[in-house]
Amino acid sequence: MTPRRLVLLLLPLIAGFLFDPLPTGASGNKNFQFFAPPAEGTLPNGPLGRLIRQGELIFIHTGQYAPRYVGNDLTCESCHLDRGIKPYSAPLWGAYGTYPRYRSKNHQVNTLEERIQGCFRFSLNGTPPPVDGKTMKALIAYAFWISRGAPVGLYLKGQGIVRMSKPTSPPSPDRGKAIFEGRCSLCHGLDGQGTQSDNGQVAFPPVWGPRSFNKGAGFYNVRELAGFLKMNMPLSKGKSLSDQQAWDVAAYIHSQPRPEDPRKAGKGT
Amino acid sequence: MVVPTPKTLFVVPLVLATTLLGAGQDLTLPETWAAGDKEAALIAWGHTIAMQGNGLPGNTACAECHRINGGGMPSVGIPRIAGQTETYIYREIRGVQKGTRYSPYMDGIVQNLSRKDIRSVALYYSTVRTPKLHDPAEFDPSLRELGRRIARRGLWDRNIPACILCHGQNGRGIPPNFPYIAGQSKSYLMGQLLSFAIVKRKDDPEGLMRGIASKLTNREIKAVAQYFASLEPPVYGKIPEKNRPDRLRLIPDKETPNR
Repeated sequence: MTPRRLVLLLLPLIAGFLFDPLPTGASGNKNFQFFAPPAEGTLPNGPLGRLIRQGELIFIHTGQYAPRYVGNDLTCESCHLDRGIKPYSAPLWGAYGTYPRYRSKNHQVNTLEERIQGCFRFSLNGTPPPVDGKTMKALIAYAFWISRGAPVGLYLKGQGIVRMSKPTSPPSPDRGKAIFEGRCSLCHGLDGQGTQSDNGQVAFPPVWGPRSFNKGAGFYNVRELAGFLKMNMPLSKGKSLSDQQAWDVAAYIHSQPRPEDPRKAGKGT
Repeated sequence: MVVPTPKTLFVVPLVLATTLLGAGQDLTLPETWAAGDKEAALIAWGHTIAMQGNGLPGNTACAECHRINGGGMPSVGIPRIAGQTETYIYREIRGVQKGTRYSPYMDGIVQNLSRKDIRSVALYYSTVRTPKLHDPAEFDPSLRELGRRIARRGLWDRNIPACILCHGQNGRGIPPNFPYIAGQSKSYLMGQLLSFAIVKRKDDPEGLMRGIASKLTNREIKAVAQYFASLEPPVYGKIPEKNRPDRLRLIPDKETPNR
């Protein structure tokens, strides 16, 4: 057998190897741009599957499934869109493999559990669930499931929140107010206090005021908030705000009253 | 010789009745209503328009298509309007008048309605209750899962959020800006999605629905329409206290009745 024939014979094998979907796209989507979590309906049976499902429910209906730890009208999904899957809205698959991590926020190396505690304390203006408690276990299990197949210790495209470059002119709350009232108040209200569904549940979350995130939250940072708005708001129309508009709306939201940072309000650290 | 199909059996007596009832009656709103009866007066006038029109050329009874109790006609895709909020119905009729809401049937009918007429008839239909009518459309069981998924999870990899994020749990609406869609007929929902997709209908705030509908395939439109058509409509879509229209930007903004 000539070497040429050998190559021809092995061609299907080589092709199969070359075009095999890379393991990073766990759902097998060959056109993947971003990391893809496991397909729906592949959740394992048994105790782990139940814990993951519980975590998902806490994630979507945080106030209902973890009422002891939530102090406002927000849920995990308020910021982590599509149940923690959407790129550029701090997806779980972008966080799971990047902890433990040193954080200048508290000058410590934080585990993922400690990071999630921060979400409850600041973004949900509540009480951190204990690291070994059922709520935390369920959330970690859910994050683990969403991140199945994601590399550990690497940054993935779509991870976290987009980092905005400096705006051309300084962010203006006044310009932001006009944009907010024109485009955002449809859902969040002219007074930013959100809307309700007909059975009294929170429909769209308040973005400032007593029922919103406190001044210790990541989104109290104008750049972080601008990055979120830029890529995600209004829902389905991410990137429809210009960079400057995203900065201005973020500055306006930032200028409004909200609960104090619990670290400064005398609640201890 | 007219063959008495079910439709003519229904429409002919109705037209006769409305013509007879309307003849010789003063169809304008009396000026002497006491302030406390204002809402009742508006509802009464709205009821009159719904049953026989306002008496001006072109304006026929709403009930001819939307039925007396606002249940619509599922077979031909005429929507339920019973229990949509007054604010929403007002906005949509104004949209048809201005041409932003595409409706080749309605745009001739509503041109002679005054703002007060619209408000009255919107108020009337917001208070009406009617059960879901039978939808004769074919339901494809193989699309059930897809429809449910789009409605409840969305297709975020194409930036299509779950419908229920804006249209409320089980499509019950987030009044007044987001109408209920649960229990609308499959043909109506498909018609509106297609109308948004080809930008015939352009009254959606921020172009949200135009953006979303144009990203859906025909198969997905069919699936999601039949999903919401299979649900029960809410009984009465009141505006929750928190969503007072003065707190929200409404479309069309300033002229929407502030109540």
